[in-house]
Amino acid sequence: MSPPDFFIGWDRNSGRAQFRFLALVAAGFLALLAGIGLLDGQDAAPRGLFHLAPPPPPDAPIDAVTLRGRVALHPYPTLFVQPDATHPSLHSVLLSGDGKRGPSIDPALADGAMVSVTGLKLRRGTIDMLVVGEEVHPLPDPPIAAPAPVSLGRWRVAGEICDGKCQTGAMQPGQGLSHRACASLCLIGGVPPVFVTASPVAGASFLLLAGPDGRALADLRRLAALPVVLEGEIERRGDLLVFKVDLTQARVL
Amino acid sequence: MSVKYVPVSWTTSKKLYDAGLIAGIALYLLAFSHFAIGAVDDQALRIRALGSCAFLLLSLVLAIGPLARLDRRFLPLLYNRRHFGVITCTIAAGHALAVLGWYFAFSPLGPYDAMLVADIGSGHLRGVPFIPFGIAALLILLVLAVTSHDFWLSFLTPKLWKALHLGVYAAYGLVVLHVAFGALQAQRAFEIEVTVCALGLVALHLWTGFREGRKPRMAAAAPSGLVHACKLGDIAEGRAIVVRLTDADPVAIFRHEGRLSAVSHLCAHQNGPLGEGRVIDGCITCPWHGFQYRLEDGRAPPPFTERIATYRLHLTGDDVMLDPSPNPPGTYVQPLEPA
Repeated sequence: MSPPDFFIGWDRNSGRAQFRFLALVAAGFLALLAGIGLLDGQDAAPRGLFHLAPPPPPDAPIDAVTLRGRVALHPYPTLFVQPDATHPSLHSVLLSGDGKRGPSIDPALADGAMVSVTGLKLRRGTIDMLVVGEEVHPLPDPPIAAPAPVSLGRWRVAGEICDGKCQTGAMQPGQGLSHRACASLCLIGGVPPVFVTASPVAGASFLLLAGPDGRALADLRRLAALPVVLEGEIERRGDLLVFKVDLTQARVL
Repeated sequence: MSVKYVPVSWTTSKKLYDAGLIAGIALYLLAFSHFAIGAVDDQALRIRALGSCAFLLLSLVLAIGPLARLDRRFLPLLYNRRHFGVITCTIAAGHALAVLGWYFAFSPLGPYDAMLVADIGSGHLRGVPFIPFGIAALLILLVLAVTSHDFWLSFLTPKLWKALHLGVYAAYGLVVLHVAFGALQAQRAFEIEVTVCALGLVALHLWTGFREGRKPRMAAAAPSGLVHACKLGDIAEGRAIVVRLTDADPVAIFRHEGRLSAVSHLCAHQNGPLGEGRVIDGCITCPWHGFQYRLEDGRAPPPFTERIATYRLHLTGDDVMLDPSPNPPGTYVQPLEPA
């Protein structure tokens, strides 16, 4: 009897007729997976598909720093440090805790108190953030003046609501729909929300969000990581722009 | 075929199959990760690599069935298709675990709680929560992977098992939604893979369905109730013709050593197309997994226990007439011997 013209797993001779075909299928399978893997990894769309580039360099080590300054508890914990050569005006540093949490603040700490905080500094664009691993403690230092709020008027701005931590470099990407759930968790955990504008506003692309009353916003999950248009007053506090928005007016693009 | 249940009945072909599969996956992940560009951290890169790999594998495993219908040379891929499915599910689970360990970690909530509360709807098409689609797809794949073993095939019966495993198409649809409302909103390169795979798969199934649909179906002839199956000379030695009835399961009529026997066209193992197999060592042999049945009673040779329905045949001159009423599986029917 002639060998079967189809493959039978328990018959060692049955696959020989298709060996060449199967070898071609296997080679095609391997080439297909390698090729598509190569294609899928090329995700820098502006630079074009098939743009082969060397792997990015490893991240530079992040050193812990200690900063002293005036803490503002509203809308979100922010440290204002004295001007220096790099920052000619009162410099703002957003505060967050480990992971997807806000900073641990002593309930007795007064708004405007002088504090010393040690943590890891993150930076993206024009915003700095300090990831504070320990509780923020007051200092007996003489207080520095609060940054005088300067209204820049009412604005309608397109952009994306992100958590201030991933957006400052804790995660890459730190924005976009694929990062939506992560951003929501950061916002739930108390990480300050940041509005990343589609085009710069008064020289800044990163605005700290606040409610119309200048206090923290309620649940932002519905709008996080989506392209939205927000409307409200923009206020300059030191080198920080605070966008006081009414979320009921928000429009998803 | 096996007389007892073992985790995996390893054969050389299965080892080669799995080795090729794992090598392909390794190549994919290596190519994706090593040459990746763009500001993406290692964890996000791992999530994307595993997720896109799982999508590609799921597309390929769904292509095996129609490819094997269109060209019998693809049958060896179908033989171990369940290994392909289990490995695909493993890669998809790896993607989910990587997401849980990164995007849903470091939160005041536990990762599973975080997964359920973090992604709420926006009330707009953009921002439709895409994670529930992925969770639902993974749950289906896990059920299919767990029940892929022959024990479950036997326990559930081939008909129910087959119906359950058609759930892979629901899983694929959910994966497409997961990708469409998630990764595709942010990653351009993935568009090509998703579009080609999804449309290609639909086209392949439509083409196969079209070809299968063109095969003629026969109605029972009144008043005898017999169906004219074919002419005596239409059936080659060791082969079968398939009689597709309008309101009943198809029947395969085999010729072996000049005598004719009619049995169910559907293998008792996975409903494979027995009539497309051939007689080997005096037994009907299924082209899908090599299950065998005796021609005269539809029983697998001892020590195996599978059975299929048999049918009665009549010869009127040169015409082979089929009684479309199936006998209980394993019923002896004397093979028809033309004069």
